[in-house]
Amino acid sequence: MATLPPHPDVVTARGVVKRYGRTVALAGLDVEIGPGITGLLGSNGAGKTTFLSLMLGLRARDEGQLAVLGHDPSTAGIELRSRIGFAPEHHDLPSELSASDFVRHLAEMHLLPRRAAVQRANDALWLVGLGEERFRPVGTMSTGQRQRVKLASAIAHDPSLVLLDEPTDGLDPVQRTEMLDLIRRIGTEFGMDMVVSSHHLEEVERICDAVVIVEGGEVVRAGTLAGLRSGPEGLVVEVDERVGDLAALLAAKGFDAVVDGTTLVLGGTDGVHDAVRDAVAELGLGLRRLEPRGRTLEDVYLGADA
Amino acid sequence: MSSAPDARLFDLGYRSYDGPRHPPARAILTLGVFTARRVLGLGRGALHKVLPAITLGIAFLPALASVVFAVFASEIVADDLISYGEYTFFIGSALALFASLVAPEALCPDRRTGLLGLYLAGPLDRTRYLAAKGAGVVGVMLLITVAPLLFMLLAFVVAGFGPSAGDTPLLLLRIVGSGVATALLYASLSMAVSSFTTRRAVAAVATVLLILVPVSVVRSAIESAGAPDELDLLSFPFVAANLSYRIFGETPEGDEPITHLSTGLVTAGLVAVIAVGFLVCWLRYRRIEAFR
Repeated sequence: MATLPPHPDVVTARGVVKRYGRTVALAGLDVEIGPGITGLLGSNGAGKTTFLSLMLGLRARDEGQLAVLGHDPSTAGIELRSRIGFAPEHHDLPSELSASDFVRHLAEMHLLPRRAAVQRANDALWLVGLGEERFRPVGTMSTGQRQRVKLASAIAHDPSLVLLDEPTDGLDPVQRTEMLDLIRRIGTEFGMDMVVSSHHLEEVERICDAVVIVEGGEVVRAGTLAGLRSGPEGLVVEVDERVGDLAALLAAKGFDAVVDGTTLVLGGTDGVHDAVRDAVAELGLGLRRLEPRGRTLEDVYLGADA
Repeated sequence: MSSAPDARLFDLGYRSYDGPRHPPARAILTLGVFTARRVLGLGRGALHKVLPAITLGIAFLPALASVVFAVFASEIVADDLISYGEYTFFIGSALALFASLVAPEALCPDRRTGLLGLYLAGPLDRTRYLAAKGAGVVGVMLLITVAPLLFMLLAFVVAGFGPSAGDTPLLLLRIVGSGVATALLYASLSMAVSSFTTRRAVAAVATVLLILVPVSVVRSAIESAGAPDELDLLSFPFVAANLSYRIFGETPEGDEPITHLSTGLVTAGLVAVIAVGFLVCWLRYRRIEAFR
């Protein structure tokens, strides 16, 4: 079979438009997704699942260019999909098939010889923590176990790229934590690039190297997690009292200081640490917190949404 | 520290795979075989095997009875045995029942459980998926349209009642040709029906109705309302049975429908029905939302 050469950009989209009748699902989406684990973040109906389906070549885009692993999914769909693992959002799976048979069958469908498919189905199920349960019918499994079965079926054929659509949907907090740890482990230990679609900020923040925030069918923010979270330079200072006096003293020394409750936000870098130390000592204040300015993913997301 | 030179590590757990992979077309074969096994209940619980086994039993019964009669009867009269040509007519009800089981089981659960989306997210597109499913359905239908006749032929040959060595290849060709035509007809009809619903039971009932209802409707229209005889081509069981007679060079007893239509017209009608059935199924699958 034709092998797909490695490509530095896992996914590249330029002006991708997808319409369903009069509804515009993707309105000129531009993004580059690199190696590692990338979170596709957005509210329900933002266009995440549509984008995943375009990446798989299951739907045709109306405009724009899209490359997955360096190939156009609309023309190289079959070869491309044989090297992609996919776990859908829904939990409906063939109920009377055992987990082992289900994962083995999908591995065979992804062109593995039968013997290899059997072996790798078992290995994948052990990896996701269902080794002892692998001969149980999928229909008797809990939602958490089904999510693991889907994950095992997505990785059993050793794909180059794994697409996970809401992989923690329906899981309780403990199961969610375990699933996130598992995804992180698979993404970092086995050399598979992953795109994880989710509308849970904390999940993406916890396991992803990069984030693409989609709203209204457009990419509103994209980048590495560290890059997105880094805010303007400066410090956040929290003191036990007289924050106004501290702000005035620092302003007199030439630093932009904004008071927010008991917290003081300072801009700039040169000499700011020394200035804060000296001012706090001069006023005799108790210093509760001193940290670089930064943003959570929630700040980024809400900022993007605004 | 010393170690045995042939020491190996087993059970390394999940790891990357750099072994061989099949070409993409292999997915069609894999899915076709998987479909056939599921339809027949292989690898599934005993309950799933009951209906296919009963239907196959019904289909083989005339062949078995014929062979037993030929072997044990003191005097054999050829007219007492079921001929190859009339076999399709004899097992008409089993064919309708089997068709109503096979395609719904092959197609409906995939859409109902979302497995269709997982297949299409792999190295298959909709056409290849339907080709695999069609191959699975037709393959299973051949068990009922070809296998009993082959069994009968083999039994007759072994018992010394069979055709001469010179006639056997032609008879084999006729058995296969008749069986394939009948299997394609019933497969196309039941697949077309199954493409409209995710419910197996609904598809099964609708398939039986599609096969049986036109028989009486068409007859009434021809006999009472003076509709053209060509309308008989919509009596699918009679089309299959009549073509089977013609393939084996036999003439049906009595005044069966379609007998007075030309072979060319019957063949064209059969091909048209098969084509329309598969086309309807394909067009339906083009519109089905597989990704949820």
